[in-house]
Amino acid sequence: MIGCYVTGMIPRPSELIERTRAYERRRISEEDLEKSFVKGTEIVIKDQISAGLSYITDGMLYWQDLLRPLTKSLKGITVGALTRWFNNNTFYRKPIINSHVELEEDAVKNIMCVKQLPENLPWKAILPAPYTFAFLSENQFYKDKAEFMFEFAEIINKEIRSLVEAGFTYIQLSDPALVYEPLAASLKRDRLALVHDALEIAFRGTSVRTCLQTFFGDFSNILPEALDFPVRDLGIDLYETDFEKLKEYSFEKGVALGLVDSRNSLVEEQDELVAAAKETIECIYTSKMGEVFICPNCDLEFLPWERAREKIQIIGSVTKRVREDFV
Amino acid sequence: MNKLFPTQEVGSLVKPRWRLEGYRGEPLLQEDIAEAVKWGRKLGIENLRELVELLSEGDSASRRSALLEWSAKYAIRFFETAGLDIAFDGEQWRSEMYEHVIRKASGFKFLGYVKSFDYRYYKKAACVDRPKYAKSFYLDEFLFTKENTKMEIKVPFTGAYTIVDWTFNEHYEKKSSRKTRSFKRMKFEAKREFLFDLINEVTRPEISKLVDSGAKWIQIDEPAATTNPTDEEMKLFVESFNETVKGFNCTFSLHNCYSHYEVLAKYAGKLRNCSHLSLEFANRDSRQTGIGDTRTGYKEIELFEEHGFQGNYGLGVVDVHSNFVEPPELVRDRILHVAKMIDDPSRIYVSPDCGLRTRTWEISFRKLRNMVLGAELGRKALK
Repeated sequence: MIGCYVTGMIPRPSELIERTRAYERRRISEEDLEKSFVKGTEIVIKDQISAGLSYITDGMLYWQDLLRPLTKSLKGITVGALTRWFNNNTFYRKPIINSHVELEEDAVKNIMCVKQLPENLPWKAILPAPYTFAFLSENQFYKDKAEFMFEFAEIINKEIRSLVEAGFTYIQLSDPALVYEPLAASLKRDRLALVHDALEIAFRGTSVRTCLQTFFGDFSNILPEALDFPVRDLGIDLYETDFEKLKEYSFEKGVALGLVDSRNSLVEEQDELVAAAKETIECIYTSKMGEVFICPNCDLEFLPWERAREKIQIIGSVTKRVREDFV
Repeated sequence: MNKLFPTQEVGSLVKPRWRLEGYRGEPLLQEDIAEAVKWGRKLGIENLRELVELLSEGDSASRRSALLEWSAKYAIRFFETAGLDIAFDGEQWRSEMYEHVIRKASGFKFLGYVKSFDYRYYKKAACVDRPKYAKSFYLDEFLFTKENTKMEIKVPFTGAYTIVDWTFNEHYEKKSSRKTRSFKRMKFEAKREFLFDLINEVTRPEISKLVDSGAKWIQIDEPAATTNPTDEEMKLFVESFNETVKGFNCTFSLHNCYSHYEVLAKYAGKLRNCSHLSLEFANRDSRQTGIGDTRTGYKEIELFEEHGFQGNYGLGVVDVHSNFVEPPELVRDRILHVAKMIDDPSRIYVSPDCGLRTRTWEISFRKLRNMVLGAELGRKALK
């Protein structure tokens, strides 16, 4: 099977951006802003459907950053200072862990626009992975970050169960900190066993399709351990990964190939993307071909809306062509 | 400079409403005009009546141009009145540090807004062709400043590395083939080519004009210097700085703030012709007076020293993100603490952490005034 989807936040459509700015300047009410979010979500869902994506997200337009819904909602965490989001000119609010963390009510499901998602297509939800959330937080309470990571994995498990109950059939955990090069150097190999165990807790008792999406860094840095992670698909940022190292390994799991560049506005040549996808697939599946998703290398939110929209269409078109080649 | 602890500004001052709205051609409120008069009197600006008449006029190209000059004159006088030793025009002529340069060079196209955080966005451009020098972007403001002050002048100059980091690299990536195995390498090589074309085609020609016109000191602003803290990227940053300043008979300094100083420290010693590093520390420091353990914000100076940086420090002693007005005694202690750490007071230039553009003129003035008084106390303490 060759499918496709987005892997994170879609940028807010231009009109919604204007409305959020107007809201900041107190020129429109919260009710008016809410209406604009509903309209914006409708647009990004329609775009994914028209591009023929296999799983549909709500675009995550409400999300101020990947961690925020949880940073804001979990008991035991306060919202900290603005901090650079990896090597981007974009910032997140650092979660400050100052007491035992608890989930009092669904944080993620409550921010999702479930009612707007199409009834006839499968839905995908995206959450921060335990390792990334723990790594990017300031821990003032737990013995160490590993202890907090396991506690957080329990919370994510509750969130996932709730999302599955709501109808989501694909759950992605985003884990950029696991591969980001300046951090990866400090990641000892034995920590990957802890990441494995935390993922096991996060996905415990769920039967839906799961993915660990990595980005901003070289996926080959966590091989071969990642091949045994308790997920069905592994997401790879092809703009950061050393292809020569990647092809040394034989994959059995599904892969999400981050083939469309979310950090450059250049609209890729489809022929080149198709050739790159085929070459990667042929190299990593040496015995039996696995399931493949074509996707952006990270959140599309690093692009202006119009350009992100074009890239969503490209994801659909490239997938169609790769699919035809592998029939 | 022979004086111990010279005081300087780092960059921009907020633009007054009469400058912002006036330049946009929007009608001004009476209170905007009153504000211009109030500060004009405080700063001893001549011919205020002329400004008031200008502010009452309708929009025109000549009015817009005159407004730039008036606001630059105000900012220069603002720094003079506060008692600084080194200053510029508070970047009153620039729309913003990135956009100002992009709009004056060719080869760029603005694509739209990208999220910075929450409901804040910035306009991001793409490089769509080889960058070329089209119009001068700092020369006019430098010449104006030179004519209007006797102070030592330092020109803040947005560095090429930051411009490249904040721009989509369409042109150079398009030139490269997207073969799977070379995606990562292709992006780096394309970035490198973009960076050095920008330096040679746009940055250096402007520096050349400034130096030919008498500029003696250029401050290269590189907020993105440590955004990509890998060894390869940091070496690229150092190479870009060295290429930018190579061969000019001029003093250069580097300003970088809210950054990874543990990373920058490792490479600072490799910056050639960089007389001084202007760094942010007050933001990280305690507000208690005293030297020694109290000064929690200045630890990273040690890293720069350990890695062999021998130049001067533009020492951030004023937090630009807070309305707290640092008492002169606190400024003094921050200076003396670092003077002791580096065992050489002559390497300290007293500065705010960054430009004061997020503060009002009232707060900025009080902060700078106390900074100047704090430097005086520092000098007295060492006599």
